[in-house]
Amino acid sequence: MDDQDLVARLEQFLRARLPGEHALRVVRLERSTEGFSQETFSFDVETATERRGFVLKREPLAGLLEPYDLAPEFRVLHALSSDPLPSPPTPWFERDPRVLERPFYVMERLPGDVPVPAPGPDGAGPFDDAERAALAPEVVAALARLHSIDWRAAGLDFLGDPGRGRACAARELQRWDARIAASGMIVEPPLAEALAWLRSHVPSTDAITLVHGDYRLGNFLVTRRPGHARLTGVLDWEMVHLGDPLEDVAWCISPLWRGGTSFASGLLDPEEFVVRWEAATGQPSDPERLHFYGVLAIVKMAAIMLTGLRAFRDGRSRDLRMAIFDHQLPYLYLLFGALRGWIGGF
Amino acid sequence: MQLAIETLLDGVMQTLREAVLPAVQGRFARGQLFAVLDVLQNLRDRVEPKVALDEAEAVSAGDALARAVQVLGPAGASLADALARAPTSPPAARVAALRAALCQAYTLLDGLPEDVAAPARRTLGEHLSAQAMRDVAILKPSLLQEISKG
Repeated sequence: MDDQDLVARLEQFLRARLPGEHALRVVRLERSTEGFSQETFSFDVETATERRGFVLKREPLAGLLEPYDLAPEFRVLHALSSDPLPSPPTPWFERDPRVLERPFYVMERLPGDVPVPAPGPDGAGPFDDAERAALAPEVVAALARLHSIDWRAAGLDFLGDPGRGRACAARELQRWDARIAASGMIVEPPLAEALAWLRSHVPSTDAITLVHGDYRLGNFLVTRRPGHARLTGVLDWEMVHLGDPLEDVAWCISPLWRGGTSFASGLLDPEEFVVRWEAATGQPSDPERLHFYGVLAIVKMAAIMLTGLRAFRDGRSRDLRMAIFDHQLPYLYLLFGALRGWIGGF
Repeated sequence: MQLAIETLLDGVMQTLREAVLPAVQGRFARGQLFAVLDVLQNLRDRVEPKVALDEAEAVSAGDALARAVQVLGPAGASLADALARAPTSPPAARVAALRAALCQAYTLLDGLPEDVAAPARRTLGEHLSAQAMRDVAILKPSLLQEISKG
């Protein structure tokens, strides 16, 4: 399906959902280069009276989180559409392959850009001091808001309550362990060491909340003007689930997302991030649980990379960004070493 | 590395042909891209991983496993078997077998009392650390930001 065909099909789909807008046009369709996982298209809808921006996410044929199911992600975004949390209002989901060949959903486009979680050519991080000062409280507050959502009242129990005690962490570990096994790629010794340690250190928790699963620099939509920045959206909900909120905290402060700085998600000192999250939620953060999820964060990243490498190796994806994971894995192994203590001076 | 060099080059060439070339308009740039494809398809069957890298890893891993077997005593019998079964050549096959033995070692250590396992963990950790440094030392600076922004 070329872009022209996509536009025509999209116009037909939207005319059926926007009553009275028989003359609407889809313009400025553009494929995003940022997302690694789903196919993402940005476009405007032009009617007789206005022009509105939308984003379409379509299930890919292959990718980092295969097999895909967009329905849970859509149901969460749809349920949160009127929540103060800055998530994109998401009105439509379509599973019928006759429309765009694969399932997709459409959400409103929020203002802002997504700072990339990598240092710039000059080695600098993504934000200056003033931007960090403005943005950090908003990122912590949004995460605390996310963790305070009454997921039962919001109708999100379909995500599956993992249960209290060790079951919660055990389910997450099992989920990622299974992804690694499903990739069929070789488990190298640093990953094997981390998995063995995680299996024998599964922590217990009674705090079950909505967990974004990918809350970090790279999924924050930000508007900037000189000396200021504002969080306008939290994106990429494909790993959303019910679980331990410390999983999100550990992921967000992980060395994976420092963007060339020493700051959690390029924003603030990791310990300070945790303290502020505790203050915002009123929940203490158990250091042992946090450490477990810190190691699990690197395992998750390894699982994602191995899945991408498998898709590339099998010719199911020709996205060369997946091929470069082969050169990123050794850096993950350094992080394993630092977190697990078999490497020093990091 | 998880991908064989041939697999990597085949994938690069296919992406260049199917996704990049159609989007390149300038005649000079298209010509240069065809030249890249010409280079890659002729390079494909002339390159192989450096044997010295596998040899260095094999020596380091073999020594670490041997020391672990020694400090574990009878508890390390299965590890001793795995070490003994590892082929001595070619280096890539030996490395693959020793990596598998290291993975097996961590599962084994997890089932042992920590005072028994700790000395073996230390010796294996020294190898992991040295190997991680060797692996990273040959990597070039990442172009991740440029790749993400396009």
